[in-house]
Amino acid sequence: MVRQRFWLGSSSLVVLVLAYTLLSNAYRFFEVSKLPEPIGSALQPDVLPPTQAIVQAVVDLIKGPGAQPPPDEPAHMHHHQHSSDHVGVLLQQGVTLQASLAITIARVLFGMVVGAPLGILIGLLMGLSRRTDDYVHPVYVLVRSVPPLAFITYIMLWLGHTEAHRLIPIVYAVAATMVIPTYHGVRDLASTYLVAARSLGARGWLLMRRVLLPAAGPAVLSGLRYALAIAWMTAVGAEMLMAENGMGNLIVGGGMWASRLQTRSDPAVVMVGILALAIAGWLMDSGARLLTIRLTRWAR
Amino acid sequence: MSLVQRNRIKRALISLGTIAVVYGVAAEVGRYVLPHRIWMDVHYIDNVELLPTYRSLAEEMAFLLQSWILPDSILVSTGRILAGFVLGAATGIAVGLATGRAARLEYLADPWMMLLRFTPALALLPLYVIWFGYGEASKILLIATSVAVVVMLGAHHAVRGVPQVYLDAARALGASPRLIFRKVVLPAAFPQIFASLRVALGLAWVTIVVAELIDAKMPSLGYLLALSGAYPRVPQMLIGLGTIAALVFLSDMLALSLHAKVTRWMRRTG
Amino acid sequence: MSSDSPRLRLEAENVGYTYPGEPPTRALEGLTLSVADNEFVALLGPVGCGKTTLLRIFAGFLTPSQGSVRCDGASVDGPSWQRGYVLQESSIFPWMSVRENLEFGLVAKGMEPEARRARSDELLHLLGLSSFEAAYPKQLSSGMSKMVEVARVLATDPSMLLLDEPFGALDAQTRARMQDELAGLWEQRRKTVVFVTHDVEEALYLADRIVVLTARPGHVKQQFKVTLPRPRSLETRFAPEFAALKRQVWEVI
Repeated sequence: MVRQRFWLGSSSLVVLVLAYTLLSNAYRFFEVSKLPEPIGSALQPDVLPPTQAIVQAVVDLIKGPGAQPPPDEPAHMHHHQHSSDHVGVLLQQGVTLQASLAITIARVLFGMVVGAPLGILIGLLMGLSRRTDDYVHPVYVLVRSVPPLAFITYIMLWLGHTEAHRLIPIVYAVAATMVIPTYHGVRDLASTYLVAARSLGARGWLLMRRVLLPAAGPAVLSGLRYALAIAWMTAVGAEMLMAENGMGNLIVGGGMWASRLQTRSDPAVVMVGILALAIAGWLMDSGARLLTIRLTRWAR
Repeated sequence: MSLVQRNRIKRALISLGTIAVVYGVAAEVGRYVLPHRIWMDVHYIDNVELLPTYRSLAEEMAFLLQSWILPDSILVSTGRILAGFVLGAATGIAVGLATGRAARLEYLADPWMMLLRFTPALALLPLYVIWFGYGEASKILLIATSVAVVVMLGAHHAVRGVPQVYLDAARALGASPRLIFRKVVLPAAFPQIFASLRVALGLAWVTIVVAELIDAKMPSLGYLLALSGAYPRVPQMLIGLGTIAALVFLSDMLALSLHAKVTRWMRRTG
Repeated sequence: MSSDSPRLRLEAENVGYTYPGEPPTRALEGLTLSVADNEFVALLGPVGCGKTTLLRIFAGFLTPSQGSVRCDGASVDGPSWQRGYVLQESSIFPWMSVRENLEFGLVAKGMEPEARRARSDELLHLLGLSSFEAAYPKQLSSGMSKMVEVARVLATDPSMLLLDEPFGALDAQTRARMQDELAGLWEQRRKTVVFVTHDVEEALYLADRIVVLTARPGHVKQQFKVTLPRPRSLETRFAPEFAALKRQVWEVI
């Protein structure tokens, strides 16, 4: 069964890549603009970047500024067969694929490291004390109804274009996401065990460490995995809006703040960005999943 | 109403009320203490009220309502979400049910699901703009994509998660696979599908707000938040934030109560 | 204090309890009951009559809405290991091995590892679980799991036990065996026991006194003194007095 999964999966991957290569290179073989809309315009290299262009973009973005011929050479303008020279702009700014990825990952990790304990603490306090829950819960529900990135413009007025201004939404998103799983873990999952443990005389630190933590653990861990995905999305979104580095910036093409989307970006670069993000995200999630499995072996 | 519930309401009012009062005071103090000139990358902007007083907020609210900007924005953004959500949910449920049911389909779709799943939806926005232009289509399709991915996973796992005992019992009663799917698998999977719909709704809101921020044009809720124009009107931004919060909250409450009604049979009574 | 009226360990006077909700549920009302030292009391009653609620009140997890509950003369103020409580639901800690579960109460007491090990060895042997000492709950059957829970509470040697339908989820044979174990343990080390059950035979087999509760809102309907001779055995179940008492109790329920 695993073998079937592998073969079917890889073959569908290969087939689609091949089909895409054929389609995206179609313009080389015949006059695609003669075809009916929207197929005609869809097959333009501007819209569906040929596979080679994508690969080329990857290579260039990894090699960095050294790889680019000097800007006034005519060869350069048609390097990617794209009018906007997205790649050129990025390379001029000193952006490379690896560096962007590293920066985004750093932001994601920062958000997790700062936001998760915060959210867990709040969830813990709410779950353990009905009184605290009554006070805090309504505030939490209202506050977390606001999407984290919606704050970003308001924060910018206060803090200007600083790193903090980009990191705060990420921290906030992670913290807000961790409250509910922790709360649920403490209130629902751990309650029976807490009763039994207290009837055995356990109190305080012992109760926390050896009963509450393991009982609520699985819920908190799965919450962390979800928070990781949220952190990625928030980081990329913040970068798309307001950063001059990181993957979000790479995708959007490093234009001015007010018109991030107006410069027509090169779809090859966007695809490279998406692929890189997907792979990185998948790797991090797999890591988180393996960690969860190891830590909760007693539950299976 | 019991003591516990009375306490709960009382405490909620206390904490919300305290925040409201503290904000009011801070805003009044802020008028004198906070800067009114903010540096925005290339130039200064004047007349910025970092913490708008209740009065400014009320005035701004009146303006936004009278000029029909707020209602328009709400309609437009909500419309986009609705369209995207319906499209995405339908697609997601269809595909998720299909892959849940047939293992081979799942294996075929696997790599693409992985790819889409770990792509932050917003990263697709520039691509969609290239393909579908700057109009409604790209935004609606963006929402549809993010919703579809979440719902597809939810539907898939819901179908897979139906307890084998139900399936065995149905088969022992001689039911055909089609009947089993319709009358056993679907109802059993429904609660989880609904839960993923709720998550997808929250995600849709997040997506549309940012998409509208990146491509800020009137009328939209994202536009209210943007720093476009000669100077940012903070009261407008805060009202925008508040409106979004209210809408998200309401739509979530709606989803929750629908969920509760529909899953009544699942909860043990007594 | 006269020598022939044993002191009262638990006293519930006019106890009432209402669960919040829409609408609120009155689980107990006007319940008066006392439990003497080293007495084995069985609480019998229909489903939902508030037996668990009463036990939770005795254990210190709930405060009565009306009336008062006193333990050894003082009002009950939270849980304590002196009132060992075994819940109806499974509460064995899945992340700990059987031995760690058994030793948990001793850890809470601050006992040294060697002493703990000796005591858990004793319990494992007593209940025939020695080969399972390193097993994790997911590897145990529900019967064994419940045994561990009861043994866990016995480890700290509390003078009072509150057991909430502990054998309810077990099959008939395991249940009979567990009843024997419990009866045997009780013979060896007398404790005050409040035992909740809906099984009349179980109550007759184990208890000194049966308290029958009414349906919700629960209060004491009738009490029976179980005069069957101790120690009880399989023979007791077939004795004519057993059947007679059973009939009496059934007529009241």
